[in-house]
Amino acid sequence: MARMSETTREPDARRIATDARDRVHFEEDALALSDQVYRVARHLVGSREEAEDLMQETYARAFRSWRSFQPGTNLRAWLLRILTNLNIDRGRRQQRTPDLQPLEEGDYFLYNKLEASGGGAPDEDRVVERLSQNDVVSALSEVPHDFRDVVVLVDIGDFTYADTAQILDIPIGTVMSRLHRGRRALKQAMAESAVGGES
Amino acid sequence: MTASDPCAHCEEMMQPYLDRVLTDAERAEAETHLDECAYCRKRYRFEEALRQFVKQIVDVEPMPVELKAKLANLRTPLQ
Repeated sequence: MARMSETTREPDARRIATDARDRVHFEEDALALSDQVYRVARHLVGSREEAEDLMQETYARAFRSWRSFQPGTNLRAWLLRILTNLNIDRGRRQQRTPDLQPLEEGDYFLYNKLEASGGGAPDEDRVVERLSQNDVVSALSEVPHDFRDVVVLVDIGDFTYADTAQILDIPIGTVMSRLHRGRRALKQAMAESAVGGES
Repeated sequence: MTASDPCAHCEEMMQPYLDRVLTDAERAEAETHLDECAYCRKRYRFEEALRQFVKQIVDVEPMPVELKAKLANLRTPLQ
């Protein structure tokens, strides 16, 4: 009888050990990605403190629900999906359809502004000379949230359109249109920051 | 390119061109215009450099080490 129950317990013990090993691997993999997740998180929210809180909430939730991660799929995208959902849940911003503002300026706007501002035609080196870190960071913070999320995920986080669509739970077509408009808004804000009212 | 304003059309194609999402035919169309038009060519090169610049600029702030330690502490304790 005693022998019977020992053999029944054996598979359970093996299962528990496998489970623990898988969980440890998952946690190590998730932690190895934390720098990359933070880099994106830092630009999705307004301040460093908010980004740090959000990272801790994200990792706490990820570690609790690790079983719902599908091995072999994109773990970084999975973590960012948790993070963006938490960001919305915390009421830091409202998830809404972006206002359908017209595209005020085209894609050549920033170049044209820099060229017209007196320094002549900007070339690759002039970009670095004429735009400061502050110009870029403050311009990024001025881009409306829904557009900025997409710009940050694609242009800073290097996510594909498909991953970005999955993270934000929006169609790929919406990713593309928000990206297009978000980049233009970013360039417009950079032009205002770098050149101001000059023409 | 549209006959009316080829540079305006090229401007519209710039983002998808640099994202490499144009069809082969659209890409060829953009490149034909870029070969002939220094105005658009300069603006495409600028955009490419700008994207790299933005990426580098926002990379300067690494994750605080204390935060990294806090995240590691959230792991499930080993039995």
